[in-house]
Amino acid sequence: MGQQNNRIEGLDMLLSTYFPDRIRKAVKGIRSDYTKYLEEIRIRSGLPLMGVFSGCDYFISQEGVLLHSHESALNITAKEVNSLFLLLCEQSIYAYQDEIIRGFITLKGGHRAGICGTVVYEGNRIKAIKDISSINIRFSRQVEGCAQDIFQQLIRNRQDIYNTLILSPPGCGKTTILRDLCRLISQGLDNNRFKGLRTAVIDERSELAASFRGVPQNDLGPRTDVLDGCRKSQGIEIMLRGMAPQVIIVDELGAKEDADAIQMAWNAGVRIIATAHAFGLEDFKRRLGVGQLAAKDGFERIVLLGMENGKRWTRVISVNGDEHSGMAKDYWMSDGFFRMRSYGNENVIQACRETACAGKTHRNPT
Amino acid sequence: MSSRLAERQRALAKLIEILLNLRNQICGLGIPLFLAFENVGKEPISGVWSDIFTECGVIMQQQHIDAGEAWKMVTRKNRDSIPLEESDWQVLSDFGEMLGKSDRENQESVLDLEKENLEMLERRAAEAIKTKGRLYRNLGILSGAAVVILFL
Repeated sequence: MGQQNNRIEGLDMLLSTYFPDRIRKAVKGIRSDYTKYLEEIRIRSGLPLMGVFSGCDYFISQEGVLLHSHESALNITAKEVNSLFLLLCEQSIYAYQDEIIRGFITLKGGHRAGICGTVVYEGNRIKAIKDISSINIRFSRQVEGCAQDIFQQLIRNRQDIYNTLILSPPGCGKTTILRDLCRLISQGLDNNRFKGLRTAVIDERSELAASFRGVPQNDLGPRTDVLDGCRKSQGIEIMLRGMAPQVIIVDELGAKEDADAIQMAWNAGVRIIATAHAFGLEDFKRRLGVGQLAAKDGFERIVLLGMENGKRWTRVISVNGDEHSGMAKDYWMSDGFFRMRSYGNENVIQACRETACAGKTHRNPT
Repeated sequence: MSSRLAERQRALAKLIEILLNLRNQICGLGIPLFLAFENVGKEPISGVWSDIFTECGVIMQQQHIDAGEAWKMVTRKNRDSIPLEESDWQVLSDFGEMLGKSDRENQESVLDLEKENLEMLERRAAEAIKTKGRLYRNLGILSGAAVVILFL
């Protein structure tokens, strides 16, 4: 409930700060019992205003009525898109040019505006995006507590955790789980069951902390330092040199340099929690460059996430495939995996929404 | 009259200094314009321009308007507090119009152009001190002499 209230407050702030009049009025007109399911607002030049509610698309009329058909929806002008873009950039395009090139702007509250337009190249490098044609405002939601049960499996002792790799196809909530793990590792557990550790986050795509002007918008715990917008390989080195972390957290491993940097951190006695796109452990092991990290003396715990028929499942295994789970196994699925039920349906649904791909990802993890 | 001319030149020289600071905040540090304006306004070296830049920053943030619009609003309101001439204000009226609307590289060119404009105004102000200033001083001396003669 608290998280829902926060989301509505976040929406009001976004509307009053950034949105042109007509769009603001239309979104404000949406019934509050629908607003709580609002995940995205899509604003396209010359096209109707659209909202994504729990994974379903609806067009929005001038009065805020949700429609299946676009005919009576509020049509957005190019001027409105441009005005919104300038407001999202706080009338300072140069201050956001690096983010614009990456295709999104992080907003206050950790929300994110995806941007489309005409790409301008300089050699092989994207120099700018001009003539902005579409903006997608995605509401950020931190799902506190969603990694609570996974975390229990990753504790080595009161002051140490296992090197952990979280694997899943896109859209299954890796980043959401990683964010909550970071918070738990940094914060520690009650009754001295686990002492919080100094945690460093290399937030290459600004998704974990969602920093806005240097201030993390998500709660990553009281012992967490964030290096925002930095490449993983460089970030790990910087953190090792300057911040003396006990745990380093990185999202989406992929490059050979990432693997080298992680080896460097392990040599320094620092634990790593990382994620990667993969359909399973064997799939990850076959990856050039980073696959070796899942071999012996590499990651000690593997967390597999997946989704089937819109439902989320989680599995914690060791690198040789042994099951490491004290979680309920009463909901075995046909593919041999079990769903994690213990963090509650509401949280699962929220985490599922957070990925914004819930309706689109039905890939078979095996 | 003569001191007013000197104040005018000082105000223009100060604005050139502010522009260099602004260039560092925009092109070097990438600070959003409203914050850069506020930062510049807080600097003690900003002198007579301090309130104008601070107010511009505040208005930009509160009313979500661009720098050009904020500059016009604020300078219209505070024109009397700055010792510039009408012709100076005409040149300065578009200051801010192009700020914030492009990338760092382009902003540098915009600020360079503004600096050239200001340097031109400052040169004019210096010439005015030389010509009009001498005239006003001589007129003052002559008037004084005339008064003394009348009393004699």
